[in-house]
Amino acid sequence: MTSPTTQPAPLLEVSELRKTYRLGRVKVPVLHGVELAVARGEWVAILGASGSGKSTLLHLCGGLDRPDKHTPPARIRFNGRDLTTQAGGAIDRYRSRDVGFVFQSYHLLPELTVLENVTVGAMVRLGRFGFAREKGKVTARARELLDAFGLGHRLRHRSAELSGGERQRVAIARALINDPKLLLADEPTGNLDRDTGNAILDVLADLRARFGLTVLMVTHDPENAQRADRIVRIADGRIEETAAHQSGPAKPEPAAG
Amino acid sequence: MYQALLTRKYLTSKIMPLLAMVAVMLSVATVLVTWSIMGGFLKVLLESGRPMMGDAVVHWPVAGFAHYDDLVERLEAHPEIDAAAPLTESLGLVRLPNSQVRVITVKGVNPEGFRRVTGFEERLWWKPIDEPTPKDREREDPRLTNHDLMELFYENGLSMTRADPVTGEPDDAAILGIEVSGLLERTEGGVYVERASVGARSDGSIAVENIFMPLNGEVGLILLALDDEGVPIDSVSRRLPVANEFQSGVYEVDAGTVLVPLGWLQRQLRMDEATKVDTSSDAVFESFVEGDDGVMRPRPLEATGVAPARVTTVLIRGAQGTTPDDVKRIIKDSIYPEFAQAHPDVPHPLDILVLTWEDQNATLIASVRKETGMVLFVFGIVCFTTVFLVLAIFWSMVSEKTRDIGILRALGASTPGVAWLWLRYGIAIGVVGSVSGLAAGYLIVTNINDIHDWLGRTFGLVVWDARVYYFTEIPREVELYKAIVVFAAGIATCLFGAALPAWRAARMRPVEALRFE
Repeated sequence: MTSPTTQPAPLLEVSELRKTYRLGRVKVPVLHGVELAVARGEWVAILGASGSGKSTLLHLCGGLDRPDKHTPPARIRFNGRDLTTQAGGAIDRYRSRDVGFVFQSYHLLPELTVLENVTVGAMVRLGRFGFAREKGKVTARARELLDAFGLGHRLRHRSAELSGGERQRVAIARALINDPKLLLADEPTGNLDRDTGNAILDVLADLRARFGLTVLMVTHDPENAQRADRIVRIADGRIEETAAHQSGPAKPEPAAG
Repeated sequence: MYQALLTRKYLTSKIMPLLAMVAVMLSVATVLVTWSIMGGFLKVLLESGRPMMGDAVVHWPVAGFAHYDDLVERLEAHPEIDAAAPLTESLGLVRLPNSQVRVITVKGVNPEGFRRVTGFEERLWWKPIDEPTPKDREREDPRLTNHDLMELFYENGLSMTRADPVTGEPDDAAILGIEVSGLLERTEGGVYVERASVGARSDGSIAVENIFMPLNGEVGLILLALDDEGVPIDSVSRRLPVANEFQSGVYEVDAGTVLVPLGWLQRQLRMDEATKVDTSSDAVFESFVEGDDGVMRPRPLEATGVAPARVTTVLIRGAQGTTPDDVKRIIKDSIYPEFAQAHPDVPHPLDILVLTWEDQNATLIASVRKETGMVLFVFGIVCFTTVFLVLAIFWSMVSEKTRDIGILRALGASTPGVAWLWLRYGIAIGVVGSVSGLAAGYLIVTNINDIHDWLGRTFGLVVWDARVYYFTEIPREVELYKAIVVFAAGIATCLFGAALPAWRAARMRPVEALRFE
């Protein structure tokens, strides 16, 4: 393990992560004591086949789900803070302020316009009065992001009126509206053709390069995974291999195991 | 904030909330209409006594009581009593122009005093309409056609006289309840027009006669005179011209009351002032005196005193802000006991009846109260089903919007925040539904008589029969507090209906909500 005196503390650190789902009376273990660390500014791709547990890992890291309780206990540390011991409200705030999600099927709210879909994240974070106070700033930021993603002319459109690539770019803009430290992308190109998918990955690469955004991306496509700094292979709920792929700002080793 | 945005979007882009709003609207309108009409019925019933009876009456039926002028004076001297007036009441028979004879209540009143207590002049039907409304013209009110004649009828009504056609001298005259004669027909517009009098002649043929009571009509009154102990003296039959007709709004009163001048009725009933004689002496028929013609006749009885005039009732109107019950208490506690102390020949304070209109109709009013409560209870239960309707609609919507809930949770929305989204949505539907329901209910209530007439015209459906419900018109007033209560209940209905789906939405695990298909 690299000495802590020479390496900065990872932004996200996961240890002993286990997760079991119940299908009726049957228990289906999905993760078996996963260990993972993601450095600040790093782009990590978790590569695995369908059912390998990669999305579950991402959901746990993003606070969308809770790990199993066991001994030794699972730990998900973000920026030095242990999320597994936090109450629901703190996890909600974590999702709202510290991470942004990009999903395979975009998950835009169909009744809202493009602009509203982006600003809704800020509404959740700021609350009624906070948003009322900062509405102008938030709207300007949303427009800036959408302009940057080539969607400045689509602000009043609804998601049903957009192409897949456009929807995903709206989803990325929504994920970035609160300036998160960590972007969690779950098969962000899974529903897109190769060219559009590459364009989306270009956007992620650009964001990382310009803002030093930390990206944890789940994919089943080795070619997409090649875009990351580091590839973590997962199979049957276990990390099998970690390989640095490109030069990046930091490439810490897994915390353990 | 996101709750407000999504509530607005969901409200305007889905058919389901529209259905929920319609359900709430119908419930609110139904309850408001029911409560307003039934409550209005009760209110009109409670208030209908004042135009005819004042706030309270001092009553000693049949035989009546004397020294009523003194009682009136004592009553009017009290600061919480505005006016008092004597009245004599008796059951009688009325013979109508078509020879029909009906049982009625004859009330003898002093016109001026009666007006001071009851505002009776407002109830006189035949009078000029100085500022006719468009509706008056639309319904072709006959009172608009001959102003001078109407003025004459009104003056006759105020004085309870009608000029003798030969001498021109004013004669005592009666005022009939508008439904007594049967010679008038109430139109759909709520005005009365003449109806020909049809009667059978002795030879079996049919006689058709046009009689307009205040102009040329007269009635026969058959009364039973009683002495001051209630013992029948004799029956009297008199004819009286008709001065005018009145509408109290209470069908029973309008169909069964004839007003006559107080002095006239007292004379017929032998309740006027009379000389007292001693009839106890055995010598009355043993003592004879010879007349100028030389014929021996019984000696005239010697006057022993004067029997004062009697009335059965004194009507009382309380001062502004004094309730009928206050008036009753004042009379019972102080005025009548002092009066009885001054006049030992009047009924004892414990015996005399001091009654409000509500007391006089206690059975009817209690039954209407119970009926109103029962109908509201039943409709309340029916409307409670709206809670389940809203619940079903919201449950379905939460299912439909499960993924949205997952997205919001992924963006950091808290459990209470998601619950509040659905509760707020329920409140919004409740507000829109309740406002629409109030508007619909208000329109229905305020136009209920027109709607009822239209139903009768179009489908032959007559729900409101004045003979059954006492009043000639369906009450059509919406009270503010009822509207507020129904409005709040409409919103509460939606809140209750939305509560369980909101709880379900809030409890969804984000990851499962996102995976929902």
